[in-house]
Amino acid sequence: MAVAAVHAGGIADHIHPEPQGFVRRYVFSLDHKIIGIQYIITAFVFFMLSGLLAEAIRTQLLNANGGFIAPDTYNEVYSVHGSAMVWLVIIPLLTGGFGNLVFPLQIGARDVAFPWLNMLSFWIFPVAGLMLFSSFLMGAPTAGWMEYPPVSLQGAAGTSMWAAAIFLVGVSSTMTGINFVVTILKMRAPGMTFTRMPLFCWGQFATAPLLMIATTALAAALAALFIERQFGVPFYDPTKGGSPVMWQHMFWFYSHPAVYIMILPAFGIISEVLPTFARKPIFGYKLIAFSSMAIALAGFMVWAHHMFTSGLAPFLQLPFMILTFAIGVPTGIKIFSWTATLFGGKIHYTTAMLFAIGFVGLFTLGGITGIFLAAIPFDLHVHGTYFVVGHLHYVLVGGSMMAVFAGMYYWFPKMSGRLLNETLGKWHFWLFFIGFNGTFIPMHWLGVLGMPREVATYDPQFQFWNRFESVFSYLMAFAILIFFANVLWSIRNGKRSGPNPWGARTLEWQIPSPPHYYNFKHIPTVYGLPYDFSQPLPYKGLEEELTDSPPPVGVGAH
Amino acid sequence: MSFPLVENRAQPGLGAGFWTVTAILTVLSIAAIIFWVTFPLEKYLPAAIVTARQVDFLFRFMAASGSALYIFVGGYLVYFTIAFRAKPSDGPDAIGLQIHDNRKLEFWWTVIPSLFVILLSVVSVRIWYEIMLEPQNGLVVEAIGHQFYFSFRYPQINGEVTDEMHLPLNVPVTLNLTSADVIHGFWVPAMRLKNDTVPGLVTTIKFTPRLAGRYPIICTQFCGVLHSEMDKQYLVIEPKPAFDKWFAMWQQKNARASNALPAAGGAAIALQSGNAPAGKQLFAQKCTACHKVAPFNQVLVGPGLLGVLHDSAHPNLVNGQPATPQNVAAILQNGYTGSMGAMPNATANGLSATDIANLVAYLDTLK
Repeated sequence: MAVAAVHAGGIADHIHPEPQGFVRRYVFSLDHKIIGIQYIITAFVFFMLSGLLAEAIRTQLLNANGGFIAPDTYNEVYSVHGSAMVWLVIIPLLTGGFGNLVFPLQIGARDVAFPWLNMLSFWIFPVAGLMLFSSFLMGAPTAGWMEYPPVSLQGAAGTSMWAAAIFLVGVSSTMTGINFVVTILKMRAPGMTFTRMPLFCWGQFATAPLLMIATTALAAALAALFIERQFGVPFYDPTKGGSPVMWQHMFWFYSHPAVYIMILPAFGIISEVLPTFARKPIFGYKLIAFSSMAIALAGFMVWAHHMFTSGLAPFLQLPFMILTFAIGVPTGIKIFSWTATLFGGKIHYTTAMLFAIGFVGLFTLGGITGIFLAAIPFDLHVHGTYFVVGHLHYVLVGGSMMAVFAGMYYWFPKMSGRLLNETLGKWHFWLFFIGFNGTFIPMHWLGVLGMPREVATYDPQFQFWNRFESVFSYLMAFAILIFFANVLWSIRNGKRSGPNPWGARTLEWQIPSPPHYYNFKHIPTVYGLPYDFSQPLPYKGLEEELTDSPPPVGVGAH
Repeated sequence: MSFPLVENRAQPGLGAGFWTVTAILTVLSIAAIIFWVTFPLEKYLPAAIVTARQVDFLFRFMAASGSALYIFVGGYLVYFTIAFRAKPSDGPDAIGLQIHDNRKLEFWWTVIPSLFVILLSVVSVRIWYEIMLEPQNGLVVEAIGHQFYFSFRYPQINGEVTDEMHLPLNVPVTLNLTSADVIHGFWVPAMRLKNDTVPGLVTTIKFTPRLAGRYPIICTQFCGVLHSEMDKQYLVIEPKPAFDKWFAMWQQKNARASNALPAAGGAAIALQSGNAPAGKQLFAQKCTACHKVAPFNQVLVGPGLLGVLHDSAHPNLVNGQPATPQNVAAILQNGYTGSMGAMPNATANGLSATDIANLVAYLDTLK
């Protein structure tokens, strides 16, 4: 009877009862918002640890002849730093973290499609992270985050632990990818067509298939590495008939799409923050959305541009170069569209907005140096040098991490009901911005002039700029401390935000902060794009969300 | 909030401020282009080979266009951020111009970058060709990566040269790269050229030295605990007489060492009389434990031998000599032991002079 009544409205208001115990509510939670926050907290713990490793790297490089830590320890430190930042920090923050937290709210869903899978994929992640860091106890991997064999076959026992840990993170990523694809395809609110979806959801929708498909190649490569190291089955050792270049193909077949896993959700965050604080529609919605899909698709076909020096057949390399150049076009379209979004706006200088504008400036630089690296003749010069280190930190820190911070300041009220402190936030932004540029800009010319990457000691002629970088890196670390202090302080003492402190127009801001367990009392109906500030909100059925009325009683509660 | 909100009804005209900023950015871009075109890169990093200057040209081209693009994007970003800030007088509900898109603008900022991508592809492919089309028949030298040094092998020098790599000025060079253990990266910054040394694989780079000097050789692929120390060797480019002197010195030095090897058999080998079918039988008995009839990189203990006497990409023999019939016969007879591996001599293999001639004849049929 009750079922018929609810379905008469066309939409099942199907609400499960909220679990009451602490463990079911906050530890083994099935709620996508809690899981998202769990991801974010865990990833920031790993961020702190691998940030410490980064400062150890910079301290070692203060002097041309090193001396802070032994070369072998140094190799362990940067290898774990790179692996952890990619797999335990940026990917979980942007997909499992902000993805879980935000996009089900934005499409008007009560949860993701498979909450149990979601919980499982979260709980694999801290276990894998602890495994990765525990490799220090048995001799951590030393061959960088890429772990090219045969040298990784010689690595200490921790290299196998590394392979197992990354394999597990991959399992977690794959499950998240499946979950997100199904959720976006099947669980959008009525009227939420693809062309009315907020751009953050487009970012997740472009990313999820990459997580699903590319990660399997990495899993195969890691399993083979593990088996070869532990049981001696030769996959990669050329003296036994293996091929070391095969690892590179499989690794980059994952790791190039992984670059887009780390940036497409970031594009999504920026595309939400910019219009909100410019009080303008995002410029060129359709091109931004479709260019994300174009980038995701093309991202599968350019992996060998990481291997121009690996001995591939020369003519095989040309299509990879040209296709990589071509990815510059959709990326450029996004950058131009974001810049144009600011034109004629009424810009509010919130910390989130500063990080978003900073993102556009820094990511553009990283994108341009990416084009440099794609040109084979120049890559034959700078491949494996600090030029690459500079480029990748511009896209991953100046890009992804800046977007993460923008997202943190933007969605912190949705997580906690309180605002982060804006004064501390601005100190965080400016110190981070200055520290970041000071740390990574000199790396470009150091690379061009002859400084190779992954070295514990270097030519004394490069000492001045390395000291310069190290000093600025300490400034960056200080900015991060401000951020952590801000979060810890604001979570108890921050200003109460109310449901929508930013005057934002996407669905997640039309419900209380933090949202109820069931997100929406009634699933809303969507009539248009969220970005048109001159019009009333394009949603119906939200009238009761901010009132005290109880949600409909759970139908078929179990 | 009530609707409609206070909309900024001003026409989206661009205004004097916009054009002033555009003019300033244009001037800055031109200045950046001039900076890169005239930048004396060779003052900081000499261009040791002919193609290095072309790579520099590509770098200048990309740096100039990249800087110009960045000045416009960054400049407008900063300008818009300042010019369109919300002022207190606007009130809390003020909104910006409700522009959703502009087909014309979007068309052009898709088409112009696409055209630029085509131009950049043409320039890059052109310079890539210059690098690939360096002469084939140059002086053949090999560099072999080891943990943690490079060794070098020259035709007519027995064994390996282990301190520096010398090359004559203006003589084309074919440099074969391989590795004895793990992957290394062979990079000479002054050459603007590198390639990995991959175990079980021979990669080739070709170039023509144009400027005498002493340039560091640096490993760019992590290769083990002392990877950082692998930047202490030098490439010395010098005029032909000086190179010849150095070459003769190493010939003598390594000849003394190779004279100490046991010379088995001793009888002169008449290679013309070799019988290939007999050699094929011998190969099955004596050689297949270590060598396959397969491309070089299919390694059992030693490399695959398909095309050993015919394929110009096939690397030199384990003793550093080019794979000619005479040299193959010599190594079958005398054997060799070095850091790249070992080959037993005729005594150990039980090969007569006739056997060796037959084997060489058989190897000659593997194309």
